[in-house]
Amino acid sequence: MDKIYGFLIGPGAWIAFSVFILGCICKIGAIILATPKKDRVVLAYFSPKYGFRSLIHWLIPFGTISMQENPLFTLVSFAFHFCVLIVPLFITGHVVLVETFWSVSWWTIPDKLGDILTLIVLLCLAFFWGRRLWVKEVKFVTSWTDFLLLSLVTAPFLFGFIAYHGWIDYKLMLVLHVLSAEILLIAFPFTRLIHMFVGLLTRVYIGSEFGGVRHVKDW
Amino acid sequence: MKIKTLILIIAFLGLASICLGQEDYLILGKEFKSPERPRVIFHHDLHNEKAHIENCSVCHHVYKNGKLVPDESSEDQPCSSCHKVHPVKGDNPISLREAYHKRCMGCHLKEKRGPVMCGECHKANNEKKSK
Amino acid sequence: MGNNKVLEDEGLIQGIKQLDTNKIQKIVNETISKETGARLQAYIQTCMHCGLCSKACHYYLSHDNDPRYSPVGKVKQTLWKLVQAKGSVSPRDILDMAKIAYTECNLCKRCSMYCPFGIDIAYLLSMVRRICFKLGVAPMYIQDTSHSHAATMNQMWVKDDEWIDSLQWQEDEARDEIPDLRIPLEKEGADILYSVIGPEPKFRTQLIYQAAVIMHVAKVNWTMPATPGWDNSDMAMYLGDYEVMGRLKRLHFETARRLRVKRIVMGECGHAYRSVYDVGNRWLGWKNMPIPVIHAVQFYWELLQEGRLKVAKKFEAPVTIHDPCNIVRGMGLHEMLREVVHAFCENVVEMHPNREHNYCCCAGGGVINCGPPFKMTRVEGNKIKAEQLKATGVKVVIAPCHNCHGGLEDIIHYYNLGMKLKFLGDIIYECMEK
Repeated sequence: MDKIYGFLIGPGAWIAFSVFILGCICKIGAIILATPKKDRVVLAYFSPKYGFRSLIHWLIPFGTISMQENPLFTLVSFAFHFCVLIVPLFITGHVVLVETFWSVSWWTIPDKLGDILTLIVLLCLAFFWGRRLWVKEVKFVTSWTDFLLLSLVTAPFLFGFIAYHGWIDYKLMLVLHVLSAEILLIAFPFTRLIHMFVGLLTRVYIGSEFGGVRHVKDW
Repeated sequence: MKIKTLILIIAFLGLASICLGQEDYLILGKEFKSPERPRVIFHHDLHNEKAHIENCSVCHHVYKNGKLVPDESSEDQPCSSCHKVHPVKGDNPISLREAYHKRCMGCHLKEKRGPVMCGECHKANNEKKSK
Repeated sequence: MGNNKVLEDEGLIQGIKQLDTNKIQKIVNETISKETGARLQAYIQTCMHCGLCSKACHYYLSHDNDPRYSPVGKVKQTLWKLVQAKGSVSPRDILDMAKIAYTECNLCKRCSMYCPFGIDIAYLLSMVRRICFKLGVAPMYIQDTSHSHAATMNQMWVKDDEWIDSLQWQEDEARDEIPDLRIPLEKEGADILYSVIGPEPKFRTQLIYQAAVIMHVAKVNWTMPATPGWDNSDMAMYLGDYEVMGRLKRLHFETARRLRVKRIVMGECGHAYRSVYDVGNRWLGWKNMPIPVIHAVQFYWELLQEGRLKVAKKFEAPVTIHDPCNIVRGMGLHEMLREVVHAFCENVVEMHPNREHNYCCCAGGGVINCGPPFKMTRVEGNKIKAEQLKATGVKVVIAPCHNCHGGLEDIIHYYNLGMKLKFLGDIIYECMEK
């Protein structure tokens, strides 16, 4: 188990982060480079002012009518996206690993807080699973790929949570935690998880159209 | 009477040596006031025996001007005399936390022996023992 | 019931008879690879299937939250299926997709305001229409309207001389009221070219009469063309026949250029404004208008601001304002519209939601042009509008858009709302100083 772990935090991590970073650059690059070919209107009407005006409204919790009409979803969605980024970036264990290998470290969150934020992530994920299974307009457009995405995100947080508490088999859980996290990173550019980056582009584009061309708000 | 006393003394010494032998470990990280993870219990002699380390300077190294001094060792000093918990300008830039992890985990990974996962050293019940 | 309606439509039934899977696959893949690109890919990669767009759609709300009518549900049944199957679908599938894309979505873009990523779902369904059109599967009435566009350059088979006759007839009528009134034809160098849509000369001629009176009183230097190019409407855009759309818009602008006018003013029509202002120009490669195009609402607002239109009396009965998608969500004219309405009306009651968030009339996007077989699709598909109208408690609805009139009229009748519809021009004509 130690040897598998040694591989995962060494070469495994290199592979996972390389695929993640290069994959995302290629995917986003491909979209940006393809834009002048068939979608010149996107460039023609691109407006930083209106694009970012829209983006900012949609990044503020309850900043749009859509969010106000779906308060529970908004709350869960913001909590989820906040925690899902904060926990892996600032949990002490991850920072210590980087520090040990690269002598670079940064601010960390207390483990107790990390534990609570992870629990929030898991509860939010349970909410998303529940919507897919029981809310009819969501269920109707749900396919196996949606469950795959949820599984990809759920696994590292769940195994990390179990491992931190030393439940079941610590070593196995930690190995599964790192393994599932690396699978998540590798899958990221090739699945709709890429919405994290591409979603910013589509938002800024529609903001430009609504603000610059149509002279209306889009929130 | 004298014989009894002698037997008692011998028995006490024997017991004490057994007890001390069992308790032959160090608590690493006492410099950290409120650590995130439990402090680490380190069986110094047992470790060196199992790892076949005879040269103290493998761990108790001496650096001068950023260069390892091969023949000198620093076993008379704690790690924290060079590696501060929060290094400031002019201190050794490698913090105590970084130094411990590099020393222990780095070597274990290199040698493919010994614990490498967080919870293998930072065990929850360590804190009870360290009190 | 939905399927029975399809079987009544000859365009769809005959359309799929000449299809086979090979032809479908070829056209679908050709269209997707040649006519779409980064935008479509980005939308497919970004949609998280969250369903938040559902509550934005009047069809979804009116069908008791039936997920088949949610915007993303419609995309799933059409475009995703085409993309995932790489075009390998049956003729029957194409018929179902055509039914959804042409008659169960008004391309009103309300859902884009509810999607966290701002996915332009109307664009996606327009692409489905484009594919169906290229496969020759479209509701007969809208296809016929587009044929009329292609043959006569107007949407109602109005012949060249009938157009001139209608204008002269209305001029004649109006001269009974104002003896020196003219409807100037082919006046080169006029300030304004006034363009209308096919139904105005065909059966809503009083609108031309009223516009002429307003122009006369406001002393506007205006003209109308005596040639094709007078019709600014565009059902080809909604059919997916972008080639004909391009011809229409070009002729419209060329007519204005030939008459050397400074601006084009359009009658109270929403989709025509979208075509001229937002869609047709893009197809022709113009980022902005070669000649500024002003919608009637904005034009009346300007006349009022400049003091060229004066209020003689206030319209007394309480009124409510219906914001047409294409000039409000499409152009932000809602505040100008309110200023004009408030200037002429005593008592204005807002409906909710309003402005950019108003519900569509369910006739737009070419749905009403799909004709009688689909009348109930749009009437039943907009129960929410009936409830919204009823809640205002007023009896007069101002809707500055032809399609909205058609759609709301059917809704008011079917749900026994007992309301009257007015164009902005109706109110101004009635209440202005002449």
